Amino acid sequence: MTVTFAVAMAALAFAPLLAARFGRLAAATSALGCVLLVVVGLTAALGGSRPVLRLGDWLGFGSCALRADGLGGIFLALTGVAGAATALAAVDLPPGRWLTALGCVIVLAVSVAVGADNGFLFFLAWEVLAVGIYLIASADRERPDALLEGYFTAGLTKLGGAALLAAFALLYGHTHSFSLAVWAHAPLSAGTRGVLFVLFLTAFGTKIGVLPMHGAVPAGYNAAPRLGAAWLSVALTAGFYGLWRFEFAILSPLPTWCGDAVLILGALTAVAGIVYAITQDELRRFLGYSTVEQAGIVLLGFGVALLGESTHNRALAAAGLLAATLQVCAQNLAKTLALIGIDRVEQTTGARSIDPLGGLGKWLPLSAAAVGVASLTLAAIPPLGGFVSEWFTFEALLQGFRMPTLLSQLLCALAAAALAFTAGVGLLAFAKFYGFSFLGRARSTIPRLGEPGRWPLSIATLGVLILFLGTAAPWEIHAVASGLQSLLGFNAATAVLSHPLVLGPVFANFSVLAPTWLTIVLPAYATLAILLVGASRTRPARRAPVWVTGSGAELAAVQYRPSAYSNPMRVILRGPLGYRTRLVPSNGDDPDGGLVLIRTVVLAIDRFIYRPLAELALGAAARVRPLQSGRLSSYLLYMLVSLTVALALIPVLR
Amino acid sequence: MLAWIARGLATGRITTRYPRGAEPPPSGYQGPIAVLDSERADPALAQLCPTGAIRVDVRGGLSLDRGSCIQCGECVRTAPARFAFARRYETAARTRASLVVGNVDHHDERPARRALAEQARSLGRSIHIRHIDTGSDGAEEWEIQALWNPHYDIQRLGFFLTAAPRHADVLLVTGGVTDPMRMPLRRTWAVMPEPKALVAVGTDACSGGLAAGNGLVAGGVDAVVPVDVYVPGSPPAPIALLHGLLLAVGRLTEEVEA
Amino acid sequence: MSLATGPIELPDYLPEHLGGVAEPSPPDEVRVRLTPLAFGRACQMLHRAGARFVTLLSAQLPEPAIVGVFAIRGDLVVLRAPNDGPEPPAYTALGPWWPAARWAEQELADRHGVRPIGLVELPSLTRPDADALDQSVDGVDVFSIPYGPVRSGVFEAIQFLIQTGGEDVSRIHTRPFFKHRGLEQRFAGLPPAHAVHVAERIAGISGVAYALAFSQAVERALGVTAPVRAECWRAVHAELERLANHLDVIAKLAETTALSVGQARFQILKEQVMRLRAQLTGSRFGRGVIVPGGVRLDGRISPGSLLNAVDELERDLTRDRRLFLGTASMTDRLIGTGRLPRALVEEYSAVGPLARGSGLSTDARHERPYGDYRRLGLQVVTHREQDAMARVLVRFGELSESLRILRQSIDHLRRSDVELLAPLPAHGNGCGFGWAEAAQGELVVWVELRGGQLRGVHVASPSLRNWALFERAFPKDVLTDLAFIEHSFGLTPAGADR
Repeated sequence: MTVTFAVAMAALAFAPLLAARFGRLAAATSALGCVLLVVVGLTAALGGSRPVLRLGDWLGFGSCALRADGLGGIFLALTGVAGAATALAAVDLPPGRWLTALGCVIVLAVSVAVGADNGFLFFLAWEVLAVGIYLIASADRERPDALLEGYFTAGLTKLGGAALLAAFALLYGHTHSFSLAVWAHAPLSAGTRGVLFVLFLTAFGTKIGVLPMHGAVPAGYNAAPRLGAAWLSVALTAGFYGLWRFEFAILSPLPTWCGDAVLILGALTAVAGIVYAITQDELRRFLGYSTVEQAGIVLLGFGVALLGESTHNRALAAAGLLAATLQVCAQNLAKTLALIGIDRVEQTTGARSIDPLGGLGKWLPLSAAAVGVASLTLAAIPPLGGFVSEWFTFEALLQGFRMPTLLSQLLCALAAAALAFTAGVGLLAFAKFYGFSFLGRARSTIPRLGEPGRWPLSIATLGVLILFLGTAAPWEIHAVASGLQSLLGFNAATAVLSHPLVLGPVFANFSVLAPTWLTIVLPAYATLAILLVGASRTRPARRAPVWVTGSGAELAAVQYRPSAYSNPMRVILRGPLGYRTRLVPSNGDDPDGGLVLIRTVVLAIDRFIYRPLAELALGAAARVRPLQSGRLSSYLLYMLVSLTVALALIPVLR
Repeated sequence: MLAWIARGLATGRITTRYPRGAEPPPSGYQGPIAVLDSERADPALAQLCPTGAIRVDVRGGLSLDRGSCIQCGECVRTAPARFAFARRYETAARTRASLVVGNVDHHDERPARRALAEQARSLGRSIHIRHIDTGSDGAEEWEIQALWNPHYDIQRLGFFLTAAPRHADVLLVTGGVTDPMRMPLRRTWAVMPEPKALVAVGTDACSGGLAAGNGLVAGGVDAVVPVDVYVPGSPPAPIALLHGLLLAVGRLTEEVEA
Repeated sequence: MSLATGPIELPDYLPEHLGGVAEPSPPDEVRVRLTPLAFGRACQMLHRAGARFVTLLSAQLPEPAIVGVFAIRGDLVVLRAPNDGPEPPAYTALGPWWPAARWAEQELADRHGVRPIGLVELPSLTRPDADALDQSVDGVDVFSIPYGPVRSGVFEAIQFLIQTGGEDVSRIHTRPFFKHRGLEQRFAGLPPAHAVHVAERIAGISGVAYALAFSQAVERALGVTAPVRAECWRAVHAELERLANHLDVIAKLAETTALSVGQARFQILKEQVMRLRAQLTGSRFGRGVIVPGGVRLDGRISPGSLLNAVDELERDLTRDRRLFLGTASMTDRLIGTGRLPRALVEEYSAVGPLARGSGLSTDARHERPYGDYRRLGLQVVTHREQDAMARVLVRFGELSESLRILRQSIDHLRRSDVELLAPLPAHGNGCGFGWAEAAQGELVVWVELRGGQLRGVHVASPSLRNWALFERAFPKDVLTDLAFIEHSFGLTPAGADR
């Protein structure tokens, strides 16, 4: 396994260099490396060999190595699947050498981060990831908004990096070592744990999209051209891994308020994410806010796990962490598939928003099927994987009565209500996203070409994988539970799978779910119904046109527009969404001339946090700009001043 | 809300028992016109009718086409020996030819009625009605709406009103078909699934009425789509309509005395 | 016609320098003859003086002319601009600055070829196309809903093109004339006694009012006065028709809010009125009774039993009205819906309960009393709230007022002579206006007779004038309010389309 691991990492490291000349070959190499990573990761997770690649002392902060232990194995496998799919999509529809190189760098950085057992190596990989994200997000030079969104993404990512650096500095200060194993056993006071918790949450929250630092996700997805958004989605894995490793494994046991805070944040993030998502008309922004919502749901399970850990209730911690991990797997894979599908749609039609689309299912059947499976998973429809993980999250929250404090119990109940709300609105949002793009009739005359590319291997395989993710849930749980064994202290799979193919939350006899049987029974019922109806039909059905109250008007013009579909939600939540609607004459004072209906949505977070901060930052930058005069004499002066200050400080610090 | 319920209960039962009981019109009611004496008629009688419903053939045989009769009463007032208002509401017929009374060959409608009954058998006791107005004067709509008021209450007979033609079994058409309404009428009829029946309600729908012949109105609904039941009248009273509906769904197979 | 010995003076309230020559006018009318050039200016002066637009028509008697009809201070001001030569006169269009005149002018242009200078074309007004969509509102949310001509429920054919961004109505476009049967041409060559059958069937639910206006026009044209008993019967039939119409509107409003018992109660009341009319006249819609010259027959039931029926109706109505107005779920939907400010209603010269619900007190029975209304003390019911609730309250008020007038008319019947019909001259010539207050509003009819037969008829129906206002009745309402606003207007497309 060590050899496989080495080959995989070597392939991933070689791919960006290849991309300088051969784009497709580089993507293929990256895909190979990812596939090998999957093998390594699954083996490690399932309790097989745990390879270690020693990298020696060359970093200068203690010896470091790349390890694939249980937890790392799960996330390596996840990165591998998502990375392989994106790389194969890049082979099929090459997005250009620069973008492919950046993508390969991102996959490499994520796998190094997941495998690192040294804090500084982790930080190095994290910063490389940040640079890669910045470069991807600002790679599109043609759209005017893309550059600003790229800077915004980079800024927020840098904020996360700063928080991470502060946290690592604090840990180093306490333990004088960067080794993760040392940190795990360090005796830290409750106060220090609290501060570290906040710092880590900020750092990883910026990456995965937790309120109020979530702005990087939708902005990044929208700014990144072509498959860049799919690679950004792969980068999310590092954020989740960081939470698992640092918050849960290293910092545990945390005080109870940390779990409560995570529950509150998770509920707010989930609700805000999906409500913002439903107002979006652009495909990528929508998926970005959906990612924010999913991060919130993950945090709900994670919060239960933290609470369980702080009260030394192993079963509770297992329930929460299992739910959160399953959610991460399902949503990450589905999001990557959706983004790859959206990229194909953009390649064919050139459209980035839902409005001009419609009826694409006829011309792009494969992409429609792929995005359909992804949408069903993200909207948590049984018997798919998204439903299984959300069910586990619900069950984890329903264990609220086992919580020690009244506050935690109340928060669990409220969080469960918020999750139910999110699920409902999520269904609405994905109905809009999928229905208006792929179903119905075309709303504009954009070119109707066929499926782009020649080998749609990536969306086909990933689509099939996600389609059966729910069916394969028992085996997925085996892998995940044995991977989490070192964190939880026991293998939760035995508690979950009391009977083969039947799932329950970790607590015995609480509730059951059998997605494998559902996958057999639901299609069987459907087929039976179709057969019965078909057999009982005595006359052939006659087709008649759509009824429009006797008018023969063109159907595309009389159906709901996607933005109008989400109008009831906007009207009900017009406060938080800042919804304004005006009807103004389009030219002058002629009351019988044309009118224009203008509706604007300004999200509360944008208005109250991001815009003021952005203005502050731009103002500060404008003030500092005179320093960058470009004159050599100024720079020499700066160097002289800093040297003098440093020399003056040495005796002071001694 | 309780006050409304009490008020409704206090009203009691006022629904007519038709078709199980007879419902004769009040005295002097201007219903369908009967030809009393159809032999040796003066050709000038044909000038009495504003719509040309009265015909006198070469041998002096007098006939009146109820499908074109707007029940104005000019013939009854001018020639009371020949014409009189019949003391009944019911006028519906399966074929256009059956609407002509007087000196004509007797037309046996029973086979046509049985065919309609056969077609409507699968509908059972739940019949959905869709209405379309193709150029009426508005009075027929009032009479159709009256069928669902507590005096007639045709829901007790299993008739319901529907807004979607895809769910409809019977189409009621009022008014002679104007040009802009031709395509909507065809579309409505095409969208209804079989088995379906079309009832032309009112003299305008049967023959175009007063407006026929000026080029703006087709001469009756059967110029555009095939008609199954004709219910003449200007407008036909709710009982006459009910009679026509029962005919359309095959509950009246035996002929009624003219 | 008055026998004037000197030059005829115009009344004081008309603007000076109207620019025309006053002609001998029958009572309640002021006729002015103008050149086509002065026509446009005179209309503007009348507009500024606060006159109400009634109709524009192309007359052939006494000479081919364009005639504009306006109502001001209880008189009908008739501006006549004769053709010079075979072509219709070219006058300045009224539509661009007077919204009330737009549809009438477009109809005149399309059907009679009279094209004024500066006409703003409404190309598909008289020849509607059910399939065409209008995209006058832009926006990423906006789409069109063509509602009609086959509407949900038992309704007459008319199409509304709604442009909406979801639920709010951004713009609504009324498309009448799907039911144009050309009945105005059908009158030609008929004697008045036969022609009244056509008049009754222009708008079947207001047949009595149309027959009344037509008969009064013929009587004024030929100089005939109907006997007093006939006038009393005419008032009785007209008020019974008003009862039926208003009860129908209220029942439809109850149906729209799914107030089933309320709907049933008002339908019962309406059915009682229709059966009363059938007993009285032989026709549920009162057809075949009113003819030029009087009425054809006496009522078939005695005035005593008629009074009893009216009393019973009033008892039931009072109780149902109290319940209806006390149902908050009903009134909440009506209050504030479909606001029509008074200024807008005046600009569009609306008539009937629609106008009276916005504070105007226009009522043809009160401004130019005809028939028995000259002797009845009619009170015009108005409300000022401008919304659908105000229109419903106006209708309830008119129901009570109609019942009161019915009693008075029946009392007059008891004390009148037995004569029912005045004879018309056999080969009469003449032309004139007749009017009546239908349940929908003021109806004006113009007739031209030659040799005892009708030559031309023009009908100014209240439904057509009020439908033009429907588009402006949706300032802040949503799609689901369409049914309420439409029923509170209470108009009939058959009358508008003729």
